[in-house]
Amino acid sequence: MTNLAQLFFDAASLGGLYAMAALGIALIFGVMNLVNFAHGEYIAFCVFALIVPSTDAVAVMFLGRAPALVLIPVVLALGGLIAVASEYAVFRHLRRADPVAMMIASFALGFVIRNALLAAYGGRPKAISLWPGLNTPVNIAGASVPLLQLIVIVTTLLVVTGLALLLKKTRIGLEMRAAAENFTMARLLGVRANRVITGAFALSGALAAAVALIMATQTGVADVKMGGQIMLVAFIATVLGGLGSLPGAVAAGFLVGIVSVVLQAWLPLDARPFRDAFLYTLVIICLLLRPQGLFVPASAKPRV
Amino acid sequence: MSKLGVFDVSVRYGKVPAVNDLTLHVEEGERVFVSGPNGAGKSSLLKAISGAVATSHGRIEMDGDLLTGLPPEAIARLGLSMVPEGREIFGSLTVEENLRVGTGLRRDAIAVEEDIAEIYDSFPILGERRGAAAGALSGGQQQMLAIGRALMTNPKLIMVDEPSLGLAPKIVDQVYDTLCALQEERGLTLLIVEQSSLRAARVGGRMVLMRGGRIVGEGNAADMADRDALAAAYFGKPSQQTEATT
Ligand SMILES: Nc1ncnc2c1ncn2[C@@H]1O[C@H](COP(=O)(O)OP(=O)(O)O)[C@@H](O)[C@H]1O
Ligand SMILES: [Mg+2]
Repeated sequence: MTNLAQLFFDAASLGGLYAMAALGIALIFGVMNLVNFAHGEYIAFCVFALIVPSTDAVAVMFLGRAPALVLIPVVLALGGLIAVASEYAVFRHLRRADPVAMMIASFALGFVIRNALLAAYGGRPKAISLWPGLNTPVNIAGASVPLLQLIVIVTTLLVVTGLALLLKKTRIGLEMRAAAENFTMARLLGVRANRVITGAFALSGALAAAVALIMATQTGVADVKMGGQIMLVAFIATVLGGLGSLPGAVAAGFLVGIVSVVLQAWLPLDARPFRDAFLYTLVIICLLLRPQGLFVPASAKPRV
Repeated sequence: MSKLGVFDVSVRYGKVPAVNDLTLHVEEGERVFVSGPNGAGKSSLLKAISGAVATSHGRIEMDGDLLTGLPPEAIARLGLSMVPEGREIFGSLTVEENLRVGTGLRRDAIAVEEDIAEIYDSFPILGERRGAAAGALSGGQQQMLAIGRALMTNPKLIMVDEPSLGLAPKIVDQVYDTLCALQEERGLTLLIVEQSSLRAARVGGRMVLMRGGRIVGEGNAADMADRDALAAAYFGKPSQQTEATT
């Protein structure tokens, strides 16, 4: 029982993190058929925004010292800002390019951001302490759960609900859904392409910032490479969920989180280092069986 | 000055020419049919006018404003609306959401609500199913929705690409009755792609015949249909006058 409850909280919080990262990717893909591989670097950028730029081994908190009430909105805004700026500087000029060219550009952009971070902060991972109190365990249903896990689970629920409300109830949400389904038709009805795309990038960047805050608190490390790892998992989740499908991204994010936690718990000790190999094998099997994604209704028209 | 002026316009897809140096004028309040075989370039012409595809040559004007080079959303803002071939309904959006997509460019919130009520009045089935996913509507209902949606931008000129495609003749009658009533009521200018010259003749208006990206004939729709029928009688070629079925 204790074990099961523990497993549940581990899986739900990891899944929530993946779901938020996957949502950030799916949002952009939905409106412009771009798999934005720079998304992981947005996450790393937001983590490093917490500390003072220097190549010293010891991190000095910068934004990270601000009270949460200031820190959270500022970091979310920074994430939105870097995403919008990269759209303006790079992707806007590639609107008519084919998806492969845009994807390569996103790799290049990620490379640029990563190297800028390396230049400003050095290559060694740094210990940071953001809200260390959140890692103290609390007892729930016999399991000892770090407060942060609960916060992650609640945050994910809030983010997903908030996003759903925004998409369903606001003008920009309506325009984004219309554009995701048929961009040209939406434009023929007067929907401004720039507005929709900027909105999608801003939301996507803010999601990256939320992921960054959670990862920074959870791991206590600022590492230039941290974005790449979660980006890979999130990308897999978006593909599994059916590229561009927001509910699919959320569901698949949770699924990947749950499966990796379960594998971690149940694989024999010797096999645990190969957990990810098992995970990716499962992913490949899923994609072979359902190439259009797990959570896309069979009737949905394939995206080009 | 014409409502719509198309001067020497060409459209090509890579090296494939679709429209060749085409010139066409549409007057305010006029109803013009564009007819011609598949691949004649009718849809490409409409797409070029609405800004959905780029022109490789020539100039397009509406009310004297240059449309060439403007993005589709800017052209929509100038009062041009399009019902594309195959309707292109947003299937995952509700019926009412489909109608509201095109209202972002309007500042007259009260008139928007009145327009929606009016569309539900004209098409009660859309009102009944306003909360349902538009993808679940029948073809005829989707065509009505596509027309209603095009109206919601409050346009002066509406272009409709093959409204009869895939609809039963009785439904097609209904679609055209609606279009004509709307034109009368709102003083709209209509540019309609219609393969059936017989249908165009029955509705009435001017007809231009396209082939190979050019205009190869022009006249009153009724006269053109007679000529078509005559040609069919002589050469046994029931080309354009066949009604779309099912
Ligand atoms: N997206 C496209 N890419 C390449 N060729 C196209 C495209 N759309 C249309 N064409 C070609 O352009 C020509 C005109 O097509 P279209 O404008 O659709 O004609 P119509 O509407 O009269 O049937 C055809 O030869 C067609 O094959
Ligand atoms: Mg056509």
